[in-house]
Amino acid sequence: MEEFQNGNESSFNSEEADNIVKECIESVVGKDDYSQNQVNKWTSGIVERCISQLIKLGKPFKYIVTCAVMQKTGAGLHTANSCYWDTAMDGSCTVRWESRTMYCVVSVFAVSIA
Amino acid sequence: MQGSDAYRIRPSHQDKFKPAIVKECIREIMREQLSGVQYDPENVQELSKSLGDCIKDKVKTLGLDRYKLVVQVVIGEQRGQGVMMSLKCLWDADIDNYAEDVFKNDSLFCLVAVFGSYYY
Repeated sequence: MEEFQNGNESSFNSEEADNIVKECIESVVGKDDYSQNQVNKWTSGIVERCISQLIKLGKPFKYIVTCAVMQKTGAGLHTANSCYWDTAMDGSCTVRWESRTMYCVVSVFAVSIA
Repeated sequence: MQGSDAYRIRPSHQDKFKPAIVKECIREIMREQLSGVQYDPENVQELSKSLGDCIKDKVKTLGLDRYKLVVQVVIGEQRGQGVMMSLKCLWDADIDNYAEDVFKNDSLFCLVAVFGSYYY
């Protein structure tokens, strides 16, 4: 029995994930200003939506999605990732989004299981 | 990744990702590298990368064979702004896990999260 493994298909497509994440952020916080009361709802809404959209891709991956929302006050923020995984199959994608009053940084890590 | 023991589809209890142990590990390294450090926009990029690599190397020595690791480091300046971070994972809740810790001083805050995902 021959198994065809198309290398492109089974590795993580970060462009696709990028578009999905951008759309999720826009739909949850696109029009709002930073608000201490809402921020909890926003971050959970964004990660929830991202994961559901990623699941719909139907790929054999485990996903980790993190989202940070920060008020714009002129402070700096840096994120760095270090990963020990299979570089051929696994991948990550980080999206930075900003509005007039806040920054939003979403990272998606996809770890293959096949 | 070595292919031996490939018949094992879940780790034994001793080999599982233990958040408490990894958290201690993270805390030690953060304290060592960040105590007394001021937020400096020029250095912080290097600092966050080196912290991530350092923590990843240390966690690798804990003997978590067959676990893929993802280390995320977030360093920000303390200026009284509000920050909120949340995460969600789609994985095998029985054997995959994560550990996190936060370090704060007067000029910066640093959050590190280490995720462990079992490779079947």
